[in-house]
Amino acid sequence: MTFVRVAAMRSIKIRYRGSILGVLWSFTNPLLMTAMYTVVFGTAFSRYYDGSIVRYLLSAFVGLTVVTFFLNSTAEALPTIVTNGALLNKIALPPAAFPLSSVAADLIQQLCTTFPAVFIIAIVVTHDPVRVALIPLAFIGLVLLTAGFSLALSALYVFFRDVSYLWGVAGFMLWMTSPLFYPAQVAPERIRVWFRINPISQQIGALRELALQQGPIHYADIGLAFGTALLAFGLGVGLFRLARRRFMDLL
Amino acid sequence: MSRAIEFSSVSLTRRTQEELYYDLKRTLLNIWRIGRVGARRHTVIDGVTLSIDHGEKVGIIGPNGSGKSTLLKLIAGVLLPTRGTVSVSGSLSPLIEIGVGFDPDLTLVDNIIYYGVLLGHDEALVRGHVEAILDFAELADIREQPTKTLSSGMSARLGFAIATEFRPDILLLDEVLAVGDERFRRKCDARIGRFWDAHSTIILVSHDLTYVARTCQRVIWIDGGKIRFDGEADVAVQRYLSTVATSASIRRGEDLIALAASTEDPVLVRGASGSDNELAIFLVRNGHRWRISANGEYRRAVSWENVLVVEDSVIEQVPEGDVAL
Repeated sequence: MTFVRVAAMRSIKIRYRGSILGVLWSFTNPLLMTAMYTVVFGTAFSRYYDGSIVRYLLSAFVGLTVVTFFLNSTAEALPTIVTNGALLNKIALPPAAFPLSSVAADLIQQLCTTFPAVFIIAIVVTHDPVRVALIPLAFIGLVLLTAGFSLALSALYVFFRDVSYLWGVAGFMLWMTSPLFYPAQVAPERIRVWFRINPISQQIGALRELALQQGPIHYADIGLAFGTALLAFGLGVGLFRLARRRFMDLL
Repeated sequence: MSRAIEFSSVSLTRRTQEELYYDLKRTLLNIWRIGRVGARRHTVIDGVTLSIDHGEKVGIIGPNGSGKSTLLKLIAGVLLPTRGTVSVSGSLSPLIEIGVGFDPDLTLVDNIIYYGVLLGHDEALVRGHVEAILDFAELADIREQPTKTLSSGMSARLGFAIATEFRPDILLLDEVLAVGDERFRRKCDARIGRFWDAHSTIILVSHDLTYVARTCQRVIWIDGGKIRFDGEADVAVQRYLSTVATSASIRRGEDLIALAASTEDPVLVRGASGSDNELAIFLVRNGHRWRISANGEYRRAVSWENVLVVEDSVIEQVPEGDVAL
């Protein structure tokens, strides 16, 4: 655990060395994207959000919080086993610590920027203490999902170096097939089933339910998202353990 | 005395490098075309049983590719045995090789702390040792610079200083005695000497047979992943030398030409030639003689009479280079 903590602090130091804004940089990406989506699609889609561009903007921002954390973290964790191969060849270390500390570094950044922002949005929009209290659960789900994917991808990357390209495409597809900058209603009925299966879409749905909705809480959506996250984490750990014994010949 | 290291019929097989393609697309295509083919594996360590007591100083000798370094990696826990069990009691030093593993963008101090934590030490404890490490490596005045600014000698010094600072119970040394310049090498020798005097267990892998014979009481000679001899240092070195008479006798160009004439296998040695005594690799294959310079350039070698062989071990791996051999 000490190792994960120190390694996470180390990657943050490397990322923001010499940058004045430091950790705040991780805020600029979702903010710029939100602004872009709102300018381009805000007017067209606002009728699905009670005619309010602000509601569209908040919805896009919450969605982007999920997507940027998930995609950035997995992409950064993916090569960590391979890049630390020299180290793994010298000191007996738990290799899982490398992808996990990479995710932890991203998590720390988001804990300083977008995650509190979602909290504030939730307080202002929902006025619902139960919803606000449940938001950490949605974040934990998101982190578990991300960690599971990161473990699996970093293990696969040891064997197949084209996984980084494939994941680039697959991640983008998961993103685009989530109702993020468009409302789910514009998609054809038979496609909407996918929105319930797509793990990113599930996480976005759960977080929006807690941060932006009012009235009775749809616990089913939140439970589904959390369940998938737990499953993904379990599968990621399992795959990593399977691959771990074969790693060293390829590093 | 209690056991520090215990191997009971340990075997290790590894995937051979040449059939790797690191490519999901190709792998899937191959499975589809010719069915699942198991990865080709070769045995690196073959049924090794040995035990080393606390405080023993053990040398490991053998030709290149015999499994010496792999044995160290098994002790270090970096590799896990395919069969058999390895048990180690006591804290270990990392395998010190020439400065790999540092993060080039972090400062020296941050790298030291990171490394110390990787070795399993408490962060606060490591901080307390930073000064001593920098002092020993003679790099205290550039502590806040990123490690990428270090020369290879400097980073080797830093690596050695970190690995030996925390007084490991078991010190694993893999050809580290060639660290830094002459003066620093003496300093390293002095520090290793202190380990030698203390109760530390030392496992030393080296091609320097005189050094091994002088410093270790016990020497293990391995070849092909098997223990050929395990016992008194002088005897081990003698027996080992008697089997490598051919390669040990390569000292000058003539020996090389004679050896090349007597074998069909490719012969590779590291040596120096020419008026400037530039280091290069010399290769004989199918009757052709090549001189491969440090930048990988192949040239047909005409005269070899002036070649001075600096490393008598024959190198197995042909360096990369596009040339029809």
